[in-house]
Amino acid sequence: MEATLPRTTFTKENAAFPFCKGCGHHHYVKHLDEAFVSLQLDPKQVCIVSDIGCIGILDSLFAEPHTFHTTHGRSTAFATGIALADGILHDAKLKTVVVIGDGGATIGLLHLVNAALMNIDVTVVLANNFLYGMTGGQHSQFSPLEFVTPTTPAGNIVPPMDICSIMKSCGATYIRQASATDKNLGTIIGEAIAHPGFAIVEVLELCTEWATPFNKIDGKMLTGSVHHNDSGGVPERKDFSSLYKEKVLGAPKRPSDDTIVPHYTSPLRGSRRIVLAGTAGEKVQLASFLYMKSAIASGLHATQKNDNPVTQGSGFSLSELCVSSDDILYTGIDRPDAVIIASADGLKEVRANGTLARCTPDSIVVAEQTLPEFECAGKVSRLPLRAVCTGSRAALSALAALNVAKGWVSQDALWEMIDGKFKEKSAAFHRDIEALMPFIKI
Amino acid sequence: MVPSSIKIRTGNQMIAEGALHAGCQFFAGYPITPASGVYKAMIEQLPQRNGVAISAPDEISALAYCVGASGRGVKAMTASSGPGWSLMIETVQYALMTELPVVIALVQRLGPSTGGATQNGQADILFTEFCTSGGYTIPIFAPSTPQECYEVATIAFHWAEQLRTPVIILSDKEVGMMSEDVDFALLKGVPPSERALFRGGNGAQHLTYDFEELSDVPLFAPVGGADKVTMTGSAHDKKGTLQKNSKETIDVLVHLQAKIDARKEAMSIVRLDDAGPADTLLISFGITARTAREAVRRARQDGKKVRNANVISLFPVPEQALIAAAAGVRRVVIAEENMTGQYRSVLRSLFPQTEVVGVNTVGTMITPNDILNALV
Ligand code: SF4
Ligand SMILES: [Mg+2]
Repeated sequence: MEATLPRTTFTKENAAFPFCKGCGHHHYVKHLDEAFVSLQLDPKQVCIVSDIGCIGILDSLFAEPHTFHTTHGRSTAFATGIALADGILHDAKLKTVVVIGDGGATIGLLHLVNAALMNIDVTVVLANNFLYGMTGGQHSQFSPLEFVTPTTPAGNIVPPMDICSIMKSCGATYIRQASATDKNLGTIIGEAIAHPGFAIVEVLELCTEWATPFNKIDGKMLTGSVHHNDSGGVPERKDFSSLYKEKVLGAPKRPSDDTIVPHYTSPLRGSRRIVLAGTAGEKVQLASFLYMKSAIASGLHATQKNDNPVTQGSGFSLSELCVSSDDILYTGIDRPDAVIIASADGLKEVRANGTLARCTPDSIVVAEQTLPEFECAGKVSRLPLRAVCTGSRAALSALAALNVAKGWVSQDALWEMIDGKFKEKSAAFHRDIEALMPFIKI
Repeated sequence: MVPSSIKIRTGNQMIAEGALHAGCQFFAGYPITPASGVYKAMIEQLPQRNGVAISAPDEISALAYCVGASGRGVKAMTASSGPGWSLMIETVQYALMTELPVVIALVQRLGPSTGGATQNGQADILFTEFCTSGGYTIPIFAPSTPQECYEVATIAFHWAEQLRTPVIILSDKEVGMMSEDVDFALLKGVPPSERALFRGGNGAQHLTYDFEELSDVPLFAPVGGADKVTMTGSAHDKKGTLQKNSKETIDVLVHLQAKIDARKEAMSIVRLDDAGPADTLLISFGITARTAREAVRRARQDGKKVRNANVISLFPVPEQALIAAAAGVRRVVIAEENMTGQYRSVLRSLFPQTEVVGVNTVGTMITPNDILNALV
């Protein structure tokens, strides 16, 4: 077998760099290539994910690595997806390198933040030339104070963001800053790529088209402004993919079986539509769910939908149920067969949402005794729900009592569900129903 | 006891079930009512099958994670609703341009994020379809039951993978959040389908966007594989080189639509309830299709002659099926939960000789009576 010679470059032969004369991106590309060479990577295990801006077009300079030229600011998010798929679902061999400018890092800051927080195995090499070169030299959130650009003609009056500090506060495990002309930059980028987990290198650059003509700025000043030149302080931690495999995929698998066996029967032919209204936290929706389960266990079809105010634990709680011997087509309640009102919150809601107005003389309304009078065409039974059952059993006990009277679903099925759910505490429901039955007028 | 396969499921949970059946291995989500149920189900179930389900810090990230994962060669899905969709749009265009399959489940409500999170809506039809600046067709499938959520999810993955393009499942809050008995033994769905892979051999060189006929779908090679991949959202030639107006680049742009147009009929799904000669053709989708079935049942009891078309494949518009369904009718009624008749505006031109009437509501469900009143 022939020995393969070490690779001396990953860029295309005679590639003409598309950047302006003197632009820092020339150095950037050279150092990135040096980093690949120093690690002697397999180019098919490298993916360059580039952003928008002058720096973004460098993907065309690289011959063999995979390239992913993405949308503005989103490169780190695409890279995160690639790295997750590679790191968890494949062999975790791919080196994913994000090429992004200061403009991309500004609009896509959250992607950088989340990649650092997750400690995704991605390397971000951020070309910071303090402005948007490609679109005409507009200032960015990385521009220094007093920086003159077409959009800061009087000089920038807003201080620049310090991406290294932001990344540090997000727990990034490798953070470096260097000027584009720093001769160690290739080594630094190489270290960043070799680093397992999230790494960011901020490269300070000159845009010769827009920065140098209008500002006193040169390479020396850039070198002098480098302040984050070590990665100390941040403890090493596992990268997200390794942790995910260990903690999430490694957790014992939990097969669940919530199959319902229809081993009861119901005499019901056609459908019954029931509205349950009460107060959040008083198990209205659980009552509805158990009834639905009993209906299915009785060989019926059933639908259930719940409603509550935006804060889920306060105010009203509403549930709409339909049980039917046939397929349920329309899922709304245009004509309620029964309405249960367990509290003042519930009454307020069935008034507001039109349920009471849709009742017909055939509708059965079971309402808490102490509620004020309300207008409704249905047949109203007043029950001491809250006195007998307290709020937390009111809805379910009312529904169970109604079912004892009407027999829409198998009562045995309903008791199976209630007993199964409440175990030793279910005796209270049996007592409730006995106490409530005399009050139901149907 | 006889064995049973009946479970209580929401439409959202059944989208997750369908995605798992289709071989989805990657999900990224961000909370939003009424789509969070898909997110939760995927977080619970995907790791059980050694897949990846993660949380994104926003919807842009969620979709970009999926598209990146798709580039690495795995089937991916996210779920959201209108407000999240508005953030995803550029990334959808990117997936379309890079020909990376991805499935997006959108569960409609009333927007914006401060809008009506728990109010149903079928008002994102045009917003979802006509979101690309390139004007390309995005396949959209709309389920009306939990069973159809499952089926449509398998279909969405099938076409996403076969066409290498983003595909939308357009559900709505009523379908997504309502629970119902679902008999798993009776579920229908298309078998899992894999994108066609570039396999090389005979010194063949992989071009990321290669095709012979404009309507061909390029063979896929993943980033990280043995063949160099050049993904780009910029206008490009078959190799993926950024170009503006070479003949080949224009061909690639035309191809993006041609591959979908060529499969328009294959994608068409219209569930027709045809009881013979009819005066009215009723058209609906999503939750309204269930209401339509009830309305038709009652209408026929009253002796009315109505034909019912439940459209599953909203886009590409199933033109032939709908034109055929309208044969001989005096009126076409299109019921949808939005005020301006969004889908009606798309379908109207299919029926130049026939009266076209809309049944519309906003913020409340259309009732069977609303529909009955509109029939001939
Ligand atoms: S505009 Fe500025 S950043 Fe862009 S290539 Fe020219 S010098 Fe470089
Ligand atoms: Mg810049």
